[in-house]
Amino acid sequence: MYANPVAYVFSCIFVLIAHISMLLNIYFNGNYTEIRDVAVLGAAVIILDISYFIIILFFKQASYVLDFLLILILNMSFIFQSCFGKVGFDVKHLITCIVCLASCKCGYLLCRNHKLLQDKKPYIYGGVCFVMLVVLVFTSAQDMWIRIGSFAIQPSEFAKPLFILACATSIADQQKKHKLLTFSVVYENIALLALTAIVCLVQVKSHDYGSLPTFLSIFAVGFLLRICYPKAKFSRKKLFGVIALILIFVLIGLKYAPEYVQHRLHVDIWSDKTGDGYQQSQALIAIAKGGWFGVGPGKGFLSNVFAYENDIVFATISEEWGLLYALMAIFAILVMTSVPLVNPTRSYYHGTISACVCAAFIVQMALNIFGSCNLIPFTGVTIPFISAGGSSLMVSGFMVGMLMAGQSPSFKEPKKKKKEENVPTWRWQE
Amino acid sequence: MKSIRRTQRIISLIILLFIAGMAFLVLKINHEADFYMMNSDTHELGFVYDRSGDVLFDGSGHGSYPENYFIDVGNLIGDDKGQMTNTLVARNLQKLNNYSFSEGIKKQGGKAAIYTTLDHAANRAVFNTYGYMEGCVSAYNYKTGEMLVCASLPSLDVTNGYEGIENFKNGTLLSKNFLGTVPGSTQKVSTVISAVEIMGSAKLYSKSFSCSGKYTNKTGDDIDCHNIYGHGTQNIQEAFENSCNPFFAQLIEDPDLPLDKVKKQYEKLGYVLNGGEESYIDINGIQCYTASTTLENSNEFRTQWGCIGQGDTLVSPVQLMMWQSAIANGTGKMTMPYLIDHVTDLNGHVKEKAKTSYSEKLFSESTASAVKQIMLTNGSDRYSYLINGYTVGVKSGTAQVSEGAKENSLLVGFVDDPSFPIAFCILIEDKDSGYLTTEQVAQVLLDNLKNNY
Repeated sequence: MYANPVAYVFSCIFVLIAHISMLLNIYFNGNYTEIRDVAVLGAAVIILDISYFIIILFFKQASYVLDFLLILILNMSFIFQSCFGKVGFDVKHLITCIVCLASCKCGYLLCRNHKLLQDKKPYIYGGVCFVMLVVLVFTSAQDMWIRIGSFAIQPSEFAKPLFILACATSIADQQKKHKLLTFSVVYENIALLALTAIVCLVQVKSHDYGSLPTFLSIFAVGFLLRICYPKAKFSRKKLFGVIALILIFVLIGLKYAPEYVQHRLHVDIWSDKTGDGYQQSQALIAIAKGGWFGVGPGKGFLSNVFAYENDIVFATISEEWGLLYALMAIFAILVMTSVPLVNPTRSYYHGTISACVCAAFIVQMALNIFGSCNLIPFTGVTIPFISAGGSSLMVSGFMVGMLMAGQSPSFKEPKKKKKEENVPTWRWQE
Repeated sequence: MKSIRRTQRIISLIILLFIAGMAFLVLKINHEADFYMMNSDTHELGFVYDRSGDVLFDGSGHGSYPENYFIDVGNLIGDDKGQMTNTLVARNLQKLNNYSFSEGIKKQGGKAAIYTTLDHAANRAVFNTYGYMEGCVSAYNYKTGEMLVCASLPSLDVTNGYEGIENFKNGTLLSKNFLGTVPGSTQKVSTVISAVEIMGSAKLYSKSFSCSGKYTNKTGDDIDCHNIYGHGTQNIQEAFENSCNPFFAQLIEDPDLPLDKVKKQYEKLGYVLNGGEESYIDINGIQCYTASTTLENSNEFRTQWGCIGQGDTLVSPVQLMMWQSAIANGTGKMTMPYLIDHVTDLNGHVKEKAKTSYSEKLFSESTASAVKQIMLTNGSDRYSYLINGYTVGVKSGTAQVSEGAKENSLLVGFVDDPSFPIAFCILIEDKDSGYLTTEQVAQVLLDNLKNNY
């Protein structure tokens, strides 16, 4: 992109057109009292777009696709969030979007050199354990947030990128096998299993059943890529055996899950639409009301329902903007996760990170969308970038930074290198 | 690069699974959006029409109709107010909504409608025949399954609302056609079907039992006959025409009619036996109770009384009518009734069309033919001068209700005419409270249906 100014200009124009078309939709169909409301919102969106277009020029990257996708989605999210109920200006969401952009660049800078990260693995493991300790000490089953004044953060969110880094591995790491009894094992895999067990136990203890599938999906993808490294002789039989074992554990978990979880699994939302099925039934009604093209920005009723801006945000967007628009927003996130398919990462380590980030994003979207639409039990998980919530946006931004790092990696040798010339410590290509 | 490709494959797999899930979700939403909307407070209901385009329900609420225009169909068609739940509108509300996912709610000019098979003119004529008396009438085309008449009294005109609901007569908000009632001697049709099916018609005709006005069964209980002087010795045809209780009590005791086989046949007919779990027949969403009775010991009073159609035996008039179709068709299969002929969407396009369907085989063709002959003979011997102009196979019944304090009169039957294939069931409650007879109602019913057929 840096070397292709034409593509850069066209990408900028594309993002601007997308946002301006949304603003025009608000102008013609939106629910606002004064035209100034739309103008202020429009100005903020355009200024943020242009600012970011300029800022990214200061980062020398091999590809800027993810940057354009990120600003496209974030400003879409800002427009959505500002219009729920009535067209306004959601300052808080704008600030979190800016934080998300900054966090993305941090993620990119921190993760582009995988050798550096691999050397810091003990700290990453320690970081995950520390966050889990914070979750254990400062949160409870009733409240998963730490509140400082008017700010509230969800600590378990911050464990996600760290856990992804812990799951990521290089092929060289997987070749460091050791004899344990009669088995040939990789110590780091055992460490990762132990870390996953800790994370799962803490999540169960704090009743955060929404984040649990996200962590498990990251682990599943990471572990699969560990055991499938090229020289490993891991037969299909064993692979299916592992999958079957996981399924058995899931089934046992579902069978012996606490009563309120069982209730969520079996609740008929239509016969309990004023009770436990309230949010889902209202969400589905809102989607039906919105149809393909929506009732108009700010004209929906779902903004009166609890958690309209995060847990059931897909339905809120569908109602006001239409199912087509909601699907387009989701599609944009999907495109973001599929960038590594078009532009492959250049190391196994970054490839694993990309796959784990993709799994985390998609599982979160699936939990939110399918949960709010009653295909699966409802959990309070956010849609990355779209849902309101500082912690979620910040972490999602960081994770996009990790994807970016895979697109534009750095292969500088660490400054302090140990004398192990005969044994390669890493390989980035087989 | 091979190893990197593996990470790509995993990403592709995850994305594909998610896209498949989203595709399923979109299809589901598109398919079920009508239902979601019916759970909201925003509706724009259309009309329900009879077979000739007469309005039976006006969802727009803007039309003007004569006083009590809808009274004969009030508790069958119902409305969307939620007071009556087992009605055509209540059970098919989403079909009436002028809404589609792609077009949203159409506030003006929506053409969502239900076109029923009912003949409003005939229904009203039958309804008016009852005067101050109560009961119900159902009639349908036993070849196609189209419900033509389904009136139940007392009823209400839904356009008058529910003010003073506490003073409404019992049964106003229910169509009695779908509720269980004591069938009286019309139950003997089921017993005859079972007897013919189990022992064959020749053997059944060869049996004769005597009636002296009362029969003391093997366990010492008395089965009374309505004719206190008795009917003498009769065969099945005579006993059927005389509706002789002692004959049927002795038939049930007969070793050639083992109870386990009778039970099996009753279950095939759809009876729930000996306090089993209740079930329903679905007629376009309307729940119709299925028959129930007690068959425990063929020598005991309760079982014999059950086969005669008294005691705790309950059958809905619609089910009594449906059995007539299995006899009249000569196939042993019931023609399943339906009320909705077709449904149009908000643009007036037909989106659902009824099809004739049949039940499982309840009994053999030969049984159907034998029972049909018994009923037709009964019709020609006893009813030809009461129901003029039609070849009918019928069975009447008198049901003791309110612990014998009141008697209901029933008549089930069919017209044996391929060009006018009507099966019917008529119930007059507390028959002694007026002068109306089931035969008079049948005459009005058939005449009106014939006029519009």
